[in-house]
Amino acid sequence: MASSCQLTTMRSITTLQPCEMGRTKHPKKEVEEALRHAEEQGWRIEVGGSHACGRMYCPYNDPECHCGEFCIASIWSTPKNAGNHARQLKRVVDNCAIRKQTATAAGDEGGEE
Amino acid sequence: MEYDFVLKFKLAEGNADANDLVERLGEAGCDDAVVGIGQPGRIALNFTREADSAQQAIISALEDVKRAIPDAELIEASPDLAGLTDIAELVGVSRQNMRKLMVSHAKTFPAPIHEGSAALWHLAPVLEWLRARAGYAIEQHLLEISRIAMQVNVAKESHRLEAPVEDRIRALVA
Repeated sequence: MASSCQLTTMRSITTLQPCEMGRTKHPKKEVEEALRHAEEQGWRIEVGGSHACGRMYCPYNDPECHCGEFCIASIWSTPKNAGNHARQLKRVVDNCAIRKQTATAAGDEGGEE
Repeated sequence: MEYDFVLKFKLAEGNADANDLVERLGEAGCDDAVVGIGQPGRIALNFTREADSAQQAIISALEDVKRAIPDAELIEASPDLAGLTDIAELVGVSRQNMRKLMVSHAKTFPAPIHEGSAALWHLAPVLEWLRARAGYAIEQHLLEISRIAMQVNVAKESHRLEAPVEDRIRALVA
């Protein structure tokens, strides 16, 4: 299970170039699509790990982007359910982007009442 | 059934680096969660867990994390503690609408657990209210998982109760 990560080139985290420059594809099609979506939104993907294939990094990575812990999200090499994992990753990206947009569009940073 | 929820933990000072923790979580069967490691000293897991019930989903997830990182301290299970914006988003209405609903039904709308510069509610009672009083279609899964998340969050705080005053206080506020 842990050995099937095709993204992994070495045990340690390595920064790779953007996808088209040669990031190896994720073996699961759905997850690969989610990773491309993340890259399109400016997220950086690093590969490395055993159970984990790597991580994706939020381009904003600041308290304003509302990603919180998920500013850096782990990517499994063999997730329990590839479709679900892809959805989770996509949601992490979209939550960040959407909140970013609404925050700037509305200019309304007011807290809860 | 699949249940979607987030468990957020505070890491102990001596915990290994994030990569190792993620590997341990994978080993312990948390590969149905996205693991967030973007905040120092914290780890968050967004599970999509297959289980017979919401209770089983959350409890088994807590067990898995405990096995992987025994000294991680639970901060919060979600969806539970929520502000008006969160609630509005979950239900799919505007924050203004949710606020209007709350103000115009001040007597029956569930009381928040905190009011101040921000207000916070337990989500489950609000969802139940929205379903029963305002006719909103609330997803059964969401309702179930928010009830269990509330149980977890309340249980987590219960160690703060001090025995000598517990009964007297309970009689007054519970």
